[in-house]
Amino acid sequence: MKTELERVEPRPARRRFLQGAAALASTLIAPGVLLYISSHATETATKSPRWGLLIDTNAMSEADVDACVQACKREHGWQSRAGSKTDAQWIRKVGLSDPQSGHRRFLPMMCQHCENPPCVDVCPTGASFKRADGIVLVNRHICIGCRYCMMACPYKARSFIHEPLQDQLPVAPRGKGTVESCTLCVHRIDRDGADAVPACAEAVNQGGRSAIVFGDLNDSDSEIVKRLRKHGGTKLRADMGLNPALRYQGL
Amino acid sequence: MSKSLHPLPILMIALLVWLSCTVSAADEVASSGFGSVAIPRPAKPDNASECVEPVEVMRREHMKFLLHQRDATVLEGERDSKYSLTGCMDCHNPARNDGQVVRYPDPRHFCADCHRYASVKIDCFECHADRGLSRSQQSRLIPELNTGLVSSQTFHRQLERSGED
Amino acid sequence: MAATPRYAEIRTSTARYWGLLILLALIAVIGFAAAHHMDVEGHHITGMNNQVVWGLPHVFAIFLIVAASGALNLASLASVFQRAEYKPLARFSAVLSIALLVGGLAILLLDLGRPDRLIVAMTHYNFKSIFAWNIILYSGFVVIVVAYLWLMMERRMHRWSRPAGMFALAWRLTLTTGTGSIFGFLVAREAYDSALLAPMFIVMSFAFGLAVFILLLLLSFRLDRRELDGAHLLRLRKLLGLFCTGVLYFVVVFHLTKLYGSQNHDFERFILVEGGVYTVLFWFFQIGLGSLLPLWLVYAPRLQNSVASLVLASLLVILGAFAQLYVIIIGGQAFPLNIFPGYIVDSSFSDGAVNTYSPSLWEFLLGCGGFTCALLIALLVIRILPIMPEKLPREID
Repeated sequence: MKTELERVEPRPARRRFLQGAAALASTLIAPGVLLYISSHATETATKSPRWGLLIDTNAMSEADVDACVQACKREHGWQSRAGSKTDAQWIRKVGLSDPQSGHRRFLPMMCQHCENPPCVDVCPTGASFKRADGIVLVNRHICIGCRYCMMACPYKARSFIHEPLQDQLPVAPRGKGTVESCTLCVHRIDRDGADAVPACAEAVNQGGRSAIVFGDLNDSDSEIVKRLRKHGGTKLRADMGLNPALRYQGL
Repeated sequence: MSKSLHPLPILMIALLVWLSCTVSAADEVASSGFGSVAIPRPAKPDNASECVEPVEVMRREHMKFLLHQRDATVLEGERDSKYSLTGCMDCHNPARNDGQVVRYPDPRHFCADCHRYASVKIDCFECHADRGLSRSQQSRLIPELNTGLVSSQTFHRQLERSGED
Repeated sequence: MAATPRYAEIRTSTARYWGLLILLALIAVIGFAAAHHMDVEGHHITGMNNQVVWGLPHVFAIFLIVAASGALNLASLASVFQRAEYKPLARFSAVLSIALLVGGLAILLLDLGRPDRLIVAMTHYNFKSIFAWNIILYSGFVVIVVAYLWLMMERRMHRWSRPAGMFALAWRLTLTTGTGSIFGFLVAREAYDSALLAPMFIVMSFAFGLAVFILLLLLSFRLDRRELDGAHLLRLRKLLGLFCTGVLYFVVVFHLTKLYGSQNHDFERFILVEGGVYTVLFWFFQIGLGSLLPLWLVYAPRLQNSVASLVLASLLVILGAFAQLYVIIIGGQAFPLNIFPGYIVDSSFSDGAVNTYSPSLWEFLLGCGGFTCALLIALLVIRILPIMPEKLPREID
């Protein structure tokens, strides 16, 4: 009799416990999986270089910023007609005015190559991705053109190609219906490594100046890290915790 | 009804006979019900004597090489491989071969020639450059690109003019 | 009341029925032709641009997807909550939800920059993307509701319809949570970035889905001259009022939350006061015509038995739904991103400026095409299968 009771009694309790445990486990695991994904990505990035740019806005005039934009167009073959809201802009000139003093400055604005890029998180196919060296790119072979990355990017760094194109440059394949953005001149980096100079930096660093410094943020002896150590640098929208690879001085 | 021949088997046999004729004729000229199509003989580049692999291998495997290379390049930054599409277009440069701008939609394009013959549809050239034109070449062709902005119309017109010269 | 309802195909063959069907098919074909044109020409022929990247097609698509989830309400009430009075409508509820979802998905897919790469979307998944979750949730929803419908219709499998209904209910709540979270998880934009969007979308789905359901129920009963007692309509009327109140509640809480701290004051001023078309859409169409007027039509004692007032209320709820989604989706993108707080910003890429968007005919046609495609599927299925109850007579207590 007693054994009979014992066999019958625990069942509902055990089932309830198991149900509860399963529910608890799934709510606990879900955020854990997300955290694992992001921590895993960070780990691989620190093993290799992390390419970044330091942009000294104090050393740049409006003409310098224009030169950056021209250089990028020439390098990658994109055109941006005045007034067009559908043409791509991989890099743009942003003017900042201080409302109190009226002081005005200009800076080049492009993909910030975040360590935790929202565009990569939201991309349904994984076309938006971050290379091991921290460069954020769009794999146009699997981009379906949903534009969710453009919704997620806090910097408006991305453009959608609204028209059929032809005569693209060999180093910069671009095509209708996909999304694109600054590649940090990845073709130059793949060729020259730490000695690479992105087109925008090349255009502005004339005559011994170094208003834009390219380098490895993981290498404590690199020029970029030395300059950051000395003068510091601002991350745009640092509040979002994205840790961008582009740093600005003079903001 | 039982004595009259059913038309279906006759049709099937006719189709088979016709198909076998077509296959045997496919060595030189492929004939279809609407005429004959010459086997493509895409022009060989004049700056290289041989391809990165024997012709027979390239003919069958080039798409696999390119597919592998595309992921290696985009994801890992591997740009020195002998199988790059840019490499193909540098040698098999249709612009150089007949002195005109030949884009992929033109059947004289090195790739288009065979793809049309084999009824293959690719979208590579919706994004990729369909002829070998290095950045320095292009800069030389279009001086405006070195100094300032040109509209996309001017850009294309000048490219075409430069090709015709 | 306990008598099992009998179901029958819509038997009408009037010119009115076929004329309606042909009209819907025509609009759907025009819509898909417009999508093809967009695919060939590129998105520059639409009003969408690099600042407002999602436009009218997304308003239509999200309306249909949200309404699809809500259209399943009556089936859930019948099989999960065992409300026998809704049982006769459960089958149509399931059919309508499948039809609406298919229409919405068609718009979403045809608006892609590369619709030819649908297979890529099916084979490459980034499991951290809410979009990728939604691809699974949407396609899973169709499969689950088809199975659920079959279990309801096959007498021998009837006892399984309740667990299937529970599963479908859980799935569709997750689905609408996923749809709301497409926006809710966008931390970079002040217009979104709120967990409230997910539950708000769920209540929106209840209201929008029920409004479409009521209209199609009345239409098909009218087409086939079937008996429909006022008591059934009274119940649906009260449900609609309840759901509309729920939507209004969430809208008020959403904006109060944003209004409380000063960091979102600029955004709230934009939507509520200075946003031009978005302000008009919000106050006049969403709140006035889309929420308050339907509530009055539903609850006014004099109108309790007026079918016309129920039809008008349902139409207004749908109108308000479009206004609401337009304000959320497009108004949210029109408001500039705040990349440099404390500065006055200008650039060639509309930094610091309100982004403009004016929809083109093509994207409007695509949206209409998807909508009529959904209606076409629903009207065809009820003609082919015994979905609709033969009559909804007066209930005897």
